Amino acid sequence: MVIAFDYKDLAKYPFLKESEQLVRKHFDSLDRFLSGPRGDEALQRAKERILDAIDPKWEFREEDAHRLPPEIEIASYALARILVSCAGDRLLPERLTRYEAIAVSHFLESEEAEKKRYVAQFVGLDLAKSSLPVPEYIELITQLRDARWRLINRDIQSGLVRLEAAEYDELLRERIRVVLLRNLPLRVPSTLCERFAPIIDEIGAAYQQQMLEQFGAVEEEAFPPCIGGLIGAVTAGTNLTHMGRFAITAFLHTIGMNTFQIGEVFARAPDFDPEKTMYQVEHISGSSGTAYTPPSCATMRTFGLCLNRDAICEQVNHPLSYYRRKKKKIGKPKQA
Amino acid sequence: MKPATLEFLKQRFTDYYKTSYISVPSSLEQREWGFIFFDTSSDVRMRRHMAFSDPRELADYLKNMVPAHVYYSTAYYSTPSAPTMNDKVWTGADLIFDLDADHIMRGPYTEMLARVKEETEKLIAMLTDELGFSPRDLAVVFSGGRGYHIHIQSLAVRGWGSQERREIIDYVCGTGIDPAVMLTQSDAAPAGWRQRYLDALREHLLWLKSLPEEEGIHTLTGIKGVGKRGAADAAAFLAEIDDLARDLEEYRTRTLLGSRMVKAIVTEEGSAFEQRLREKGAHADEPVTTDIKRLIRMPGSLHGGSGMRVVPLSAGELAGFEPLEDAVVFGDRSVKVDMKMAITTAMNGNTYQLQKGTNTVPEALAVFVCCRGMAEIAGEKADGS
Repeated sequence: MVIAFDYKDLAKYPFLKESEQLVRKHFDSLDRFLSGPRGDEALQRAKERILDAIDPKWEFREEDAHRLPPEIEIASYALARILVSCAGDRLLPERLTRYEAIAVSHFLESEEAEKKRYVAQFVGLDLAKSSLPVPEYIELITQLRDARWRLINRDIQSGLVRLEAAEYDELLRERIRVVLLRNLPLRVPSTLCERFAPIIDEIGAAYQQQMLEQFGAVEEEAFPPCIGGLIGAVTAGTNLTHMGRFAITAFLHTIGMNTFQIGEVFARAPDFDPEKTMYQVEHISGSSGTAYTPPSCATMRTFGLCLNRDAICEQVNHPLSYYRRKKKKIGKPKQA
Repeated sequence: MKPATLEFLKQRFTDYYKTSYISVPSSLEQREWGFIFFDTSSDVRMRRHMAFSDPRELADYLKNMVPAHVYYSTAYYSTPSAPTMNDKVWTGADLIFDLDADHIMRGPYTEMLARVKEETEKLIAMLTDELGFSPRDLAVVFSGGRGYHIHIQSLAVRGWGSQERREIIDYVCGTGIDPAVMLTQSDAAPAGWRQRYLDALREHLLWLKSLPEEEGIHTLTGIKGVGKRGAADAAAFLAEIDDLARDLEEYRTRTLLGSRMVKAIVTEEGSAFEQRLREKGAHADEPVTTDIKRLIRMPGSLHGGSGMRVVPLSAGELAGFEPLEDAVVFGDRSVKVDMKMAITTAMNGNTYQLQKGTNTVPEALAVFVCCRGMAEIAGEKADGS
């Protein structure tokens, strides 16, 4: 059976191939579209998508998707993907796809069953099944944090993971996020990225601002014990493993230190080699195109870098969450 | 190692590599290779970042270089010989499990081998019966040392990163269990870990009950969250254990999660209950499975630390496999060795009691004790003729 999506539907699900076809029908080339009368409108909406995606206070509003004609809305979805690809920070595509997936899942809440099933099928999820093969299940849930999603906490029989009907909406949202993230960052011709430079700078500034607000000024007392330990080791002149250097650099970068400041941390080492250090720091913090997220607690444990665990460690899965919590804690003045 | 011993081992290994056919791993041209040699004079412990495009090229290398240890990457690379990991371009990796007796128990070699084999069988059962891997996809390998490896080359898992692999290794090891999930009443009959969990809890409760009452109370009040002042509660709890155990047997869990004692027992870290639960998992080495760029011993090669063969097996062959017979490749002509210590060991169905000092032993045993660094070749005539 053919399911008929009207144009308004397509604006809600801009990643469907039907949506792509609609845009192609209206605009034959990206270049002409951008220079045309609606190009700027779509670009502004693309920017808005990204700004919403990095705004922790953003809330879903259905009408946002219908302010512009569907073909412009869909084009703005595609343009936003191009913009975050040009920006070169790995976290931006993650933020954008999380945002898109949340929006889509809101639309799906009140969607007709058939259309919902179609969208699910498009991202490779069959809503009629009550279980999933182990490999498919694992690929679906690796990024989900809750303990109940871990394979070990599931009912499994003969290679099939049992799912509750109520869990499908969450899995569908996650699946959409993963599918949307899969091709990012896109390989965008540099001439096109240059054309978007002013708008990308604007996004970059907003993003930096938002990171600063989230993590605030760098406070070394709030570092998790693993990161503190690694920095201690550097200061003592210990030769860190690659993973150790990577963990420090990625952590410090993410909480808002710039390359120069991170270099200063490594300069505490007696055998500091400025050139080599700056090269590594720049690579990890993203001047080469991708910025890396710091390793999770699980990864730190695997590499033997998780040390001096304390009470806060028990409550977090990631050194960054530790830092955020501890900062909040020491930020509050103690009552006398 | 004395020069005579070194020469003896190199000769024996050369003989093996000249006369044996060793099958090469699939996708040979995408694998990185690493070798460790008997001569340790060189600064480089392992020669790695090597690649072979032709099985014959690899066979020639083994014959001519006679490495003590042979490894290849579980990963597939576009350019496996590139000097840095980044330049190799990772395209996938086999799913690997490593079971090492060293991480499970200490004891005589034969006992360690028997125990790690049990553990391997437990792991294979979990992988096939529960996680749904086909026994045909499982290549079981005796490591030549103190354990077994399992290689899964299935395309369904090849592209997995560390996180996906961690789900599997956590499952087999019993890591990350959420007691609240396990004890939630479910309509489905318990299977897998839920069943193991409820069984472990029932066993644990019955064990508590079996203790003299005073000791049972002492054990419970020793748990963080119960404490000395919980003695009366502990006594009451012990009295209702039979009811709880019956509930558990019939998998009725509703009452359990509400119990303060049960909660204390299952959430305490490093507790006797946790220990009991862990025993139900398979003790595979976590970092090996989550490392997607690992080197692993080549099946069919010799283990330079034992002189035994790294033996490829199918899942079905494991039960009948006797490492101290089936992984022994050398003969029984007499060789004189100078033992650094007295040992008792089994090989090829015989038990040998070797004294400190000179002993005459079959060649295979001589290779074994020399590789393990327990002996040197004795006298001028190292080959025993």
